[in-house]
Amino acid sequence: MIQHPAILALMTASLIVSGLLLYAGWFGIRILKNWDLASGSELQLNLERRTYLIATIMSYALLFQIISLFLYLYTADGLHILFTGAMCAAGTLQVNSYGYPTLILKLINCLLAGCWLIVNHADTRGYDYPLIKPKYVLLLGLVLLVLAETVLQFNYFLHLKGDMITSCCGSLFGSDKPSIAGELAGLPYRIMRPLFFSTMAVLACCGIRLYLKGTGGYLYAALSASAFLVSLAALISFIGLYYYELPTHHCPFCILQQEYGYIGYLLYATLLGGMVSGSSIGLLMPFRRRPSLAPYLPRLQQRLVLLSLACYLLFTALVSYRMLTANFRLGG
Amino acid sequence: MIALNQVTKNFAIGPATSFTAVDNVSLTITRGSMTILKGPSGSGKTTLLALIGCMTRPSSGRIMLQGVETSFFQASEAAEGFDSSSLPERFLTEIRRSTFGFIFQQFNLIKGISALQNIMLPAYPTGEQQPVVKQRALGLMEQFDLLRHRNSPVEWLSGGELQRVAIARALINNPIAIIADEPTAHLDSQLSQAFMESIGQLKDNGKTVLIASHDPIVYSSPLADQVVEMRDGRIVRQEPLP
Repeated sequence: MIQHPAILALMTASLIVSGLLLYAGWFGIRILKNWDLASGSELQLNLERRTYLIATIMSYALLFQIISLFLYLYTADGLHILFTGAMCAAGTLQVNSYGYPTLILKLINCLLAGCWLIVNHADTRGYDYPLIKPKYVLLLGLVLLVLAETVLQFNYFLHLKGDMITSCCGSLFGSDKPSIAGELAGLPYRIMRPLFFSTMAVLACCGIRLYLKGTGGYLYAALSASAFLVSLAALISFIGLYYYELPTHHCPFCILQQEYGYIGYLLYATLLGGMVSGSSIGLLMPFRRRPSLAPYLPRLQQRLVLLSLACYLLFTALVSYRMLTANFRLGG
Repeated sequence: MIALNQVTKNFAIGPATSFTAVDNVSLTITRGSMTILKGPSGSGKTTLLALIGCMTRPSSGRIMLQGVETSFFQASEAAEGFDSSSLPERFLTEIRRSTFGFIFQQFNLIKGISALQNIMLPAYPTGEQQPVVKQRALGLMEQFDLLRHRNSPVEWLSGGELQRVAIARALINNPIAIIADEPTAHLDSQLSQAFMESIGQLKDNGKTVLIASHDPIVYSSPLADQVVEMRDGRIVRQEPLP
């Protein structure tokens, strides 16, 4: 194993977050089994008091979980110099079979953690713990995924050896490769470019409608998830080409490097922010009519729409600016 | 209406150190009535007041508040009431500010500032306009014959005047209920009678009054609608019977 400060930080943090989540998960099972707001039993009142502690612990743990995604990417990118063939995080993650699964789980956990934090925030606005059970069901799912992520991450770092030969990103994200990365890189820009901009336009229209009229929450959540996937595909298919100013370089990781001004972190952060806030709107939709949440939830959803739109529009503005100013043109 | 259902409060929960201050108390306090809690020192009166006034939470049991409207509780639901013992802390703050007015045994007035400022103090966190609050405070000072002391620091006031400032302060946010803990403990008989007259006026104006006291002037007062006797955390006698 390579003893790098960032690796040690990630592993320690994963252990702490997993421990906290295990405790919260055990408490969640007690909540799901015993919660009865009509009861005045000592157990019920104890659960009510304890739920604030758990929510506070989880807020910090899950915030770190979100940050750890970026630290993981940053670490993987920084380690590429140790592996023969690696040019960026793409090659480092390819060193063993745990790198990419860990990244995918981190991404999923980051999205779920963001959603949980928003659901938790909504729950604390109601005087009668309106989302307590859905919140802990979601948390139990998250506990399992975070534990799986910790195991995968440990395996990934434990199996890192400095003398390994790996593939470069040009090879992994080559449009002629028979793999998912290759398929994404091979998506024709003539389809992806209009699809990306039209998705953003439809998302903006739906978001404005939801903000003004309060209708179409589920549609916006679905569109938000679609926009996230389309944007990721577009990033690999054609957006990255404008940053690299190379017609054949589709790597989604090189934009995380200093020579591109670390723009990748901003692009991915806006996408994650847009996806989390957008999809949370759909998660909250079934609870809009709960009496204790009815005065508050529509306002929260309005704020989430604004946040989600701001994130996606910032992403669109950033990539559009690059497409207009780069010394590179697709399609002549 | 305030309804307590099998309320228990334990301190320092543990096999060796546990102390039960209030033990399985059920009690109903109707709106606009005066309820007196009487009993010896350590009988649980103050803890029960603190539980009703949302200053502490029960270890078990429920406390329902009916007819109380708050920013988080819609008017249409008011008839059913809500359970104050399960409320998260951020909601309890609003209840303490708007529903209950507290009069403490030691008055707890702040020295160094004027009587008027003391009375206005509980209204500051509500964000209400200062001139509006000041006008209301002056109205209360006039009602309790304190106007000439409006700018006097509270340490210049006599025991009876301090008592009246404390009452005015309890009323500044126009609460539904007044909670007073041993309010006559530091007063002579004449001032205690005067206090009961002031409290009687509040009751006439529709306020619910809840007093903990072992002073006969208080618990023998004809103004009391209900006298609850406590001992060792339990209700041992209640007049009239529920």
